[in-house]
Amino acid sequence: MAEPASPINIEPEQAMREAASLADKIARGTELFARLRDEEVAIATTPKDEVWRQDKVTLHHYRPLAEKKVRTPVLIVYGLIGRYTMADLQEDRSLVRNLLKLGVDLYVVDWGNPSRADRWLTLDDYIDGYLRECVRFIAQQHAIDKVNLLGICEGGVFTTCYAALHPDTVKALVLTITPIDFHGDTVENRLGHGFINLWTRSLAPEDIDRLIDAYGNLPGEFMGSVFSMMTPMRTLMKYNLDMLEVMDDEKKLLNFLRMEKWIADRPHHPGEAAKQWLKELYQDNKLIKNAFTINGRQVDLRNITMPVLNVFAKDDHIIPPATSQALGTKVGTRDYTELALPGGHVGVFVGGKSQALLGSGIANWLAERD
Amino acid sequence: MQALAQIWTRSGKDFAAAQQNMFADMTKRMAEAAARPAGSAPAGFFQPQELASANEAFGTLWKSALQISQSITRTMEQGKKPDPLVTELMGKLFDPRAWFSSLGGMDEVLQRMAEGPGLADLWDTERKLLDVFNAWTALRRRSIEHNTVMLEAWMRAAGAFAKTLNEKAERKETLGSWREVLALWVETANTALLETQRSEKYLDSQREILKASTDLRLAQQELAGFYSEVFGYPTRAELDDVHRTVTELRRELRALQRTDRELTRRKARERRKKAAETIELEPGA
Repeated sequence: MAEPASPINIEPEQAMREAASLADKIARGTELFARLRDEEVAIATTPKDEVWRQDKVTLHHYRPLAEKKVRTPVLIVYGLIGRYTMADLQEDRSLVRNLLKLGVDLYVVDWGNPSRADRWLTLDDYIDGYLRECVRFIAQQHAIDKVNLLGICEGGVFTTCYAALHPDTVKALVLTITPIDFHGDTVENRLGHGFINLWTRSLAPEDIDRLIDAYGNLPGEFMGSVFSMMTPMRTLMKYNLDMLEVMDDEKKLLNFLRMEKWIADRPHHPGEAAKQWLKELYQDNKLIKNAFTINGRQVDLRNITMPVLNVFAKDDHIIPPATSQALGTKVGTRDYTELALPGGHVGVFVGGKSQALLGSGIANWLAERD
Repeated sequence: MQALAQIWTRSGKDFAAAQQNMFADMTKRMAEAAARPAGSAPAGFFQPQELASANEAFGTLWKSALQISQSITRTMEQGKKPDPLVTELMGKLFDPRAWFSSLGGMDEVLQRMAEGPGLADLWDTERKLLDVFNAWTALRRRSIEHNTVMLEAWMRAAGAFAKTLNEKAERKETLGSWREVLALWVETANTALLETQRSEKYLDSQREILKASTDLRLAQQELAGFYSEVFGYPTRAELDDVHRTVTELRRELRALQRTDRELTRRKARERRKKAAETIELEPGA
């Protein structure tokens, strides 16, 4: 019996056309790449002023871009994995700029670059120490008792814990792509989603202890490699195909390079805080069980009595939606709103559709409760 | 597609040769070590069997992977020569080695972090160095085992890719451009990889690599600590102690400042309250 003919039927002319087009693209891209300078791929360029500092932590106040529409200032809190600059990647893809243009008074806390010397810092230090000090400073500056908090990813966990411990100082709580039920990845069990949850559970607690003993922290490059593992083919093709696709288009290439810059800037996660993050939250799932403690005090989600806006990405492979949505039934407020946005973990902030919805969604929600 | 076949074949040979060279080099070094005077390298401290069997399992699997890749290549072969630029790009994407260089990211990162400075050059001076070497071989072994898991995934992906191509051929469907071929491969490979990542085998081998790299790092630190003490430099443990003290002092300072602020605020409140009471008592004031 004759073997079936090969399904690959590329005519020589077609192959030639593809090759010529690719060669042109590479030539144009190489020329463009040679012209670009590092300052052209600068990120987090929205003007701001440092207003407070303690140890390596700095608090910045953004300069207004429009008339104030929300009186209560908002503090943006990113986590220790990655950096807040993702919220201000570039002028046309910036949650920070969108909020400022909508009249929101914005602050952001930068945790700095923790080194091995910061090994002993705990989540207690970050949440009940530095974050508490930032809130106090802002409240004092504005002569108010309460501020708005906007937490992102691990920073969302920080603000959640803070709000549960100090509800009298929080006017409204906005969470974005925030894990609350760390075992919630099993709800949908989508292929390629929730790998960090699965991977962390596959480790023994002592593996994590020894890792931190060995390195003193959770190295930024280590977490970077875990994230890369989550999108295997994309990681494989990023520099030889994805980059080729955009390299002759200046705007797209700059977008690509800015994202690369953000990805490359991955600070180390202080060791003791990493142990709590991985063992007590990812493994033991203490937050959703109201069993997590900060400075000896129970983080009881029922104490979150202020209005809550919970934003999640429908296609988030790092923080699957169910891990965020679990908060809804646990908080002590009836003013709980969910905002489901299209896109993935980072796409919510930088994707064309989502980032516009995100800015206006947050600003409008805050204005209604101001 | 001939070029693609050559790339696959060459990749396989290079990779297998690299493994073999590493193993041969290690065996040679171990033989040299055994010939040294007693006390510098205790006999039998190194057990190469486990590493050898991991290496052998990988080699066998690699041969099978090559057969699969050649089979796919035969199916895809058209006798029409595409542009070398396209072939090279496609070749890189289909090359099984890429699965180890890009997808074994954590493995690589851990090894780089763990191996750090070239302490291996000093290995025959102290017994602690042998611990480092043993930890290093254990990490190599775990790494090869993990590569074997990855290669199995690649074989599954390649098999699924070939199957899809055959089915298309039977249905007389065609792929008319390299982009279409590539898109099919990416989709097939991505699914295979994501499925593999959820398997116990993958998670176990990841965990073993993590443990082995941590052990290596700790063995190196112990050695570094030993030399630091000999030469009067602060050890990692001593520095960790200092940092711990500084962190605790800062924590206490923050707490004291907060208490002080609260005390001042309370006093101010009381003063205001007292002043208000005084005004009430003296209505004419």
